[in-house]
Amino acid sequence: MSILKLTHLNVHFPTQDGVVKAVNTVDLEMANGERLGLIGETGCGKTVLGMSIIRLLQLATKVEGKIVYKGKDLLKLSEEEMRKIRGKEIAMILQNPTTSLNPVLKVGDQIAEAIQLHQGLDKRAAKEKAIEMLESVKISSPEKRANEYPHQFSGGMKERAMIAMGLACNPSLIIADEPTKGLDVTIKMQIVKLMKEVTKRKSMLFITHDLGAAAEICDNIAVMYAGELVEYAKTEDIFKNPLHPYTRGFLNSLPSMGLKPIRGMSPSLIDLPTGCRFHPRCDHASAKCKTEHPEMVEIENGNYVRCFLYT
Amino acid sequence: MIEDVIVFLKKYKSSRLGLVGLGILIFFVVTAIFAPYIAPYDPHQRYETTEHPNSAHLLGTNHVGQDIVSELIYGTRVSLFITLFASIAAAFIGAFIGLIAGYFKRFDFFLMRIVDLFLTIPRLPLIIIIAAFMRPSVWNLVFVFALFEWSITARIIRSEVLTLKNRHYVDATRMFGAGDFHILGKHILPNVVPLVVVQLVLVSRYIILAESGLSFIGLGDPTAKSWGMMLHDAFEYPTIFISDIWMWWMLPAGLCIVFTILSLTFIGYALEELVNPRLRSMTIL
Amino acid sequence: MSLISIMFSRENLCNLVVIKGTKQIHTFFLFKIHMNIITKVVSYLIIIFIILSLNFFLPRMMPAGPLSGLTSSDKTVLEQYTNYMTNLMHGDFGWSTSKNAPVWDVLMRSLKWTLLLVGTSTVIYVIVGILSGAVSAWKKGKKTDVGLLVLLISMASFPPFFLGMLFIIFLGWKLDLFPRFGAQTLFIDYSTPFGVVLDILHHLALPAATLTLTSIGVIYLLTRNSMLNVLGEDYILTARAKGLSEWYIVRRHALKNAMLPIITLVALIVGLVITGTIFVETVFAYPGVGMLVADAISAHDYPLLQGAFLFIALAILAVNFIADMIYVHLDPRVKQE
Repeated sequence: MSILKLTHLNVHFPTQDGVVKAVNTVDLEMANGERLGLIGETGCGKTVLGMSIIRLLQLATKVEGKIVYKGKDLLKLSEEEMRKIRGKEIAMILQNPTTSLNPVLKVGDQIAEAIQLHQGLDKRAAKEKAIEMLESVKISSPEKRANEYPHQFSGGMKERAMIAMGLACNPSLIIADEPTKGLDVTIKMQIVKLMKEVTKRKSMLFITHDLGAAAEICDNIAVMYAGELVEYAKTEDIFKNPLHPYTRGFLNSLPSMGLKPIRGMSPSLIDLPTGCRFHPRCDHASAKCKTEHPEMVEIENGNYVRCFLYT
Repeated sequence: MIEDVIVFLKKYKSSRLGLVGLGILIFFVVTAIFAPYIAPYDPHQRYETTEHPNSAHLLGTNHVGQDIVSELIYGTRVSLFITLFASIAAAFIGAFIGLIAGYFKRFDFFLMRIVDLFLTIPRLPLIIIIAAFMRPSVWNLVFVFALFEWSITARIIRSEVLTLKNRHYVDATRMFGAGDFHILGKHILPNVVPLVVVQLVLVSRYIILAESGLSFIGLGDPTAKSWGMMLHDAFEYPTIFISDIWMWWMLPAGLCIVFTILSLTFIGYALEELVNPRLRSMTIL
Repeated sequence: MSLISIMFSRENLCNLVVIKGTKQIHTFFLFKIHMNIITKVVSYLIIIFIILSLNFFLPRMMPAGPLSGLTSSDKTVLEQYTNYMTNLMHGDFGWSTSKNAPVWDVLMRSLKWTLLLVGTSTVIYVIVGILSGAVSAWKKGKKTDVGLLVLLISMASFPPFFLGMLFIIFLGWKLDLFPRFGAQTLFIDYSTPFGVVLDILHHLALPAATLTLTSIGVIYLLTRNSMLNVLGEDYILTARAKGLSEWYIVRRHALKNAMLPIITLVALIVGLVITGTIFVETVFAYPGVGMLVADAISAHDYPLLQGAFLFIALAILAVNFIADMIYVHLDPRVKQE
């Protein structure tokens, strides 16, 4: 039974310079209890994909396709119905905890307000629950911390608070957007460990450009490039045997693999390359890659790739 | 430099509001410059008092028999003269102090405390009382406005200089042995000029408003009447509100002030949009 | 957006809101936020001292100044200065030549009317300004927004005394809806205290409307701007992700953040409005401190002019000081340091 199924999802939004095609014909399915890593470079559309699921994008954004959550197409719900899902059923942990926490409200209150809203608890009970949540993300002396303001928290603690906020109403699906971004290596490892622990037996879409973190936490990994998925595979397969040239390049650019960057720059989402979107940077590109757009094909037991090398 | 100006003008042209503002302002400026040729009479010449509009005096005459059209035209000259000189002086002092405070660290603290003082002190009341103690004259008004309206420009320029100073290319130039004055003149000054121009417009807008107020309460120069002075005269006239006199005496002078302020508002708006393109996406006009 | 800075006589306000955020706008126009309270109090005291001294030295510095009546030649300047300060401490502001009464008494008689006028208009433009600004931000780009913008920008281009004169002509004479001058109908016995209140409010209407309309644009634009900025912040997105309703988000998450720059601004505008009473009270012959300034100027009553100046200047400083203190109380980031 899948918890989330995206069918032909397109997300485009107009800007002054042209239409940004952030997500293009994405098909993705998540099983209940699955932790899926969505990886890609900055600006490949992965955050937009995450936000489109709980419909947090601006009004001018055009979202087409289907986002089916537990049998309901979220795109067909009214704003009112959608609000009952946000935070309660699907929680999103946004990136940049420094700007994502309200500077003039106490951290505890920011966690408690969702609990109060979705679980019908009174103010005091909600605050107690918020303190419990802070404890569960291993913040020491949570009673004291709950009454502090975000600027009194360190970067790692803010991230923990964000996680606590996401988990507060015990959602069935968590969308975590770059929770390890901008943290020191040691703090990052702690956060990854925490994320792994608290999302046990939960479904999570883990959006990151940090392959190491994704490998640690996720069961499956989807690789995104220029607004579309280029590879989908089990975590161990993708590390053992990356198929798509982009995935290989991405792995090779890791510090542990020798820090070899992919040549060229990632394309602008306004002006996408013809044919295969990766061909200008690909070492295996042929004439066909320049004109024809490859489809996603299944290679073996549920691993998919979008590349002419495998057709 | 010249190319920069041309590019700037081309961009400015795209702002409709800015063009309207500029059009109004140019109209007033031309009137001010050619006042002696446009005005039908010498504004000091006296005729029959409080005449209603007629073919000889299109807007009639005032309480001492001066032709109101001519007064209005020469009033443009006085109002714009005070505004222009005072705001240029204020912008110049502000830019100078801002540059020095931002660039030379040892003057910064001292100069900024002075700026603090000038910002916190209630300026308009102070301007009024100083003007009241001086003999009313156009130059005295220019002096008091210039004296008190430079402080915000100084703050803005200083913070801009502080950012510019830490740019890498400035460091690089310094490493190649460039002197302070070379860096100031070559790399910093050109970058703060647009900000100074915006400030100039904004300060002008304030000064023309304040000047009309000062003149209205009787601190204007009675020998060179500005629009505010005309309103002062009209207001002092006993039957100004009861008879129809206000229509040709008070209303035109007041509208001239309103339109000048509106035009400066529009120009300032258009300029700021160019200087701070970040603002653009948020504006709707 | 950038219009605020243009509308507001303390020029580049909005720029700062956009580029540097709320903290700097405060630092820009009042004292540094992180300055501790004692330093702040001392700074204000220094400024008060400077204003008092200026008030003493100004008439003596003017070449053709009105020295007569202010100085007695048998004393040194220093003695006169200490005398002046001691007198001020005792509430002795000198003798008003035109009113033939102690300046202090004249000021005290006028004070209540100015307080009433400034107080009423401040309440109105703060409430209406913030509400209309929030509505405009809410309806950004729609008819309501554009209409409010155009109306309030044009209003801010009117010198207050000119708008007041137009009101007198149209609402006072042509339509005869409101009294045209003064603060009360003279020589009338009211049967009920209610009648007095009604009469006072009736007289208050036009001056208060003039002050309100010419001051509201700034606060309207800043609220609109500040609200638009805050609504684009990441933490608003976080709040939406929690499933909170739009109204709850505006109320609890946006308003407090948007209010921070507005508080500083209200203080600054109150300062401007206090100055504005000089012009508005003159037009409506409203017997407040502001009209005393114009009266004193035309009667060359310098002790009264100086007394009124001190009153106005100190009132503005007091408002700034209060805003300084409130701000510190509201922003937890400041309180901590």
